[in-house]
Amino acid sequence: MDEPMIVRPEGLYCPAGGFFIDPRGRVDKALVTHAHSDHARPGHGNYLVSESCLPLLKLRLGQEIRAEGIAYGKVCKIGDAHVSFHPAGHILGSSQIRVEVGGRVWVVSGDYKPQPDQSCEAFELVKCDVFVSECTFGLPVYRWQEEEIIHQQINAWWQENVEAGRPSMLFAYSLGKAQRVLRGLDSSIGPIFAHGAVHPFLPVYEKCGVQFPRVQKPKEGSGEWAGSMIVAPPAVEDAGWTRRFKGASRGFASGWMAVRGARRRRNLDRGFVLSDHADWSGLLEVIKGTGAECIKLIHGNGEPLARYLQECGVDASMLDGSGERTGEE
Amino acid sequence: MARESVREKSRGEKMKGFSELFYDLDKMTKTGERIARMVNYFEQAPEKDASWASWFLAGNRIKGVVKTGELREWASQRSGWPVWLIDECYERVGDLAETLSLLIGGNKKAESISLSKVVEEILLPLAHADRSEKAEALRRAWHRLRPIDLLPFHKLLTGGFRIGVSRGNLCKALAEVGQVDPAIIAQRISGDWDPGIRKFEQIVGDERPEDSWCRPFPFCLASPLQEEPNSLGDLKDWWAEWKWDGIRCQFLNEENGGMLWTRGDESVGESFPELLNLSPHLPTGLAIDGEILAWGQEGMRPFSRLQKRLGRKEPGPSVLKKEPVRFMAYDLLKMEGVDMRTLPFLDRRKRLESMLAELPGGFPLQLSMPVESTDWEKLARQREESRDRGVEGLMLKRADSIYSSGRVKGDWYKWKVDPYVADMVVVGAQFGHGKRANIYSDYTLAVLDQQGEFVTVAKAYSGLSDAELKEVDRYVRKNITGKFGPVRSVRPGIVFEIAFEGARSSGRHKSGVALRFPRIQRWRQDKKPDEVDTLENLLGYAQMGERVREDGTKTDDAGNLLLF
Repeated sequence: MDEPMIVRPEGLYCPAGGFFIDPRGRVDKALVTHAHSDHARPGHGNYLVSESCLPLLKLRLGQEIRAEGIAYGKVCKIGDAHVSFHPAGHILGSSQIRVEVGGRVWVVSGDYKPQPDQSCEAFELVKCDVFVSECTFGLPVYRWQEEEIIHQQINAWWQENVEAGRPSMLFAYSLGKAQRVLRGLDSSIGPIFAHGAVHPFLPVYEKCGVQFPRVQKPKEGSGEWAGSMIVAPPAVEDAGWTRRFKGASRGFASGWMAVRGARRRRNLDRGFVLSDHADWSGLLEVIKGTGAECIKLIHGNGEPLARYLQECGVDASMLDGSGERTGEE
Repeated sequence: MARESVREKSRGEKMKGFSELFYDLDKMTKTGERIARMVNYFEQAPEKDASWASWFLAGNRIKGVVKTGELREWASQRSGWPVWLIDECYERVGDLAETLSLLIGGNKKAESISLSKVVEEILLPLAHADRSEKAEALRRAWHRLRPIDLLPFHKLLTGGFRIGVSRGNLCKALAEVGQVDPAIIAQRISGDWDPGIRKFEQIVGDERPEDSWCRPFPFCLASPLQEEPNSLGDLKDWWAEWKWDGIRCQFLNEENGGMLWTRGDESVGESFPELLNLSPHLPTGLAIDGEILAWGQEGMRPFSRLQKRLGRKEPGPSVLKKEPVRFMAYDLLKMEGVDMRTLPFLDRRKRLESMLAELPGGFPLQLSMPVESTDWEKLARQREESRDRGVEGLMLKRADSIYSSGRVKGDWYKWKVDPYVADMVVVGAQFGHGKRANIYSDYTLAVLDQQGEFVTVAKAYSGLSDAELKEVDRYVRKNITGKFGPVRSVRPGIVFEIAFEGARSSGRHKSGVALRFPRIQRWRQDKKPDEVDTLENLLGYAQMGERVREDGTKTDDAGNLLLF
């Protein structure tokens, strides 16, 4: 049987519609699941994303790109393919893309999480024949707690630091995680600052109804940082930028923090297990829920998950040599 | 694992149990903070808990409680995940105790139980139970423990209890609790003792006569010499001797016999009866510092010979005859029950000499002789003989130095000969442990054989900076060519300069050579994989060592026996 989607060097391709999903290289038509750089790459002719993803994509790739936003759930026809976008619950505007050709349905999940997240649209389970699933945290050691508990942990740590008279430096990816973290901060504890890479996305989130406490840029600060919360992307962890926040306690909000070694290696004071990906049980629950007869895994060290699914009688395999993932979220 | 009873409720807010202590110590990065946290715990905890906590933090463990294979099997039954999946998790997490904790999850409704209860009601019975009882006991234990208790519990269970608390810092904390000298604490918590019997008061209490029980003193350690030797001043103020390649030990002698303690606080006397047999000939109340060496008719033998005696308790007569040993004494710590450690080195040395002089000849106990020289340059030349002599270099001890506990810079230096080096290419990698979990930090290294093929000769996992480690990790991930259990084969591309202390022929290794202490000296980014060293070279180093062994009667220019 001809499948709606096939693998090409640039990525997943739909011959019936002549488009790619999250492609590399330069292609004419790119459907993009979300605005993270390992999915939304520059250089393509035309982009199609969800409505709420569109402003984020333009912030990342430039206002001049040719891009269009489509409402969640709305079916459009591209060539002989029927295509619709559905919330993936990963970050604001993140989508699973449903592709139907001749009655056969594929869903390409991008990155997703079924757990509730107040900073983005809730994950929607979409029935399909073939489900392309991420598997970043495809081991049972990864189990997330409710986000409220993590927000409480972060606020308690901040409070402790206020009492000890030191700044709190919290590393979180600039798009998605940073906003999720900021939303949960209790502004009665102290002033909140965010690195310049985080700010441009805030108005986009606010337009979609996500409310933040007052977030300042460090240059607006008094230079006295004790008691402040500073949210910054992990990319600046070792950079000079962090030096001004003398004596800061350093935390990192990421699913990788579930393992102590990951925290100790980075010499962090605290790790907060807050992830925008599905944990092990989330993966299993969604994979089962789609009713798909075939599961294809990408983005991660997916062999254990594939083997486990196979032992449970599910037709599961790695999509291609998509490589191991450990850094980005 | 919380405190059993409330002693003084008013003291501090962190009045919590052992699990909380564990997590706090794990979180804290500053030494002062950690010591204060331990003091806080010891002051609050019930006595029994405090004794056990001291024992565990000192690095002791209850041995043979459970086999890790069994543990994985039971964790599999409990969690519902197949054993292979648990192994995959372990590979990712890099720590079995943590893996189990993440998989088991714990009982959120459980009440906290004290550390001594965990030990006495769970761990000790487990050690004596048979297989089926163990499975059941462990199932019950998991039900009794809160999520926060699991990691410390599994650490105690699997024996790898390390949370970055050095023995020295533990001693400082206990010393503060009891207001006694840390050196006394160090002596009280070293060696083999039963925290079920010894009261916490005996650990932190005031100094008593019985403190001179048969326990080793904390070893005085040397720092590596990292500057020009003449910066140490006048050579007359220094004592030089060979740095022996054996097992550092304290030989203690009391009325009821002798004991041998290693730096790892292991009592190894049972493996060396010929040394313990010296006991009746030595004065009691004695502690000497020295080195156990493999020693035959021809003189000193390489360290590998000593390994035939290690870990072998009560060796038979044929081993004793074939693999004799000798104690090379170099310091005197206690004499007739009097602590000598605060005397200047030369004084201690003199007393050691006169004590040994009274011994009849033919005993496997001798003095480490000085390496005498008129100036630093001449001494440096003598040091060049180290390899031929089978020693690691020179020890420099300041003539007036006291015997300190641990490493005190400026008193003792080790001036080792430069290590051998060879360029090797990374052909395999696996995840590290602890801090390096989930990062490809353990490397399999190869050199070229005569056919121009890579042949594996060593494994190394230390010596890179964090930034280099990250970069190599990135390379490995992109260049994996195969999977063999936890090891990934890697496309050759990264060349390291590997330092090692020696080589010997080995029938067990495919390459035919085994290296001693291989470690990464630096990353040779300028070298290509086909520019690495050859196996022939390494075999040459090995034969060099063996030549020394065979004709042991080598002499130096002055006609002195090199191996003596």
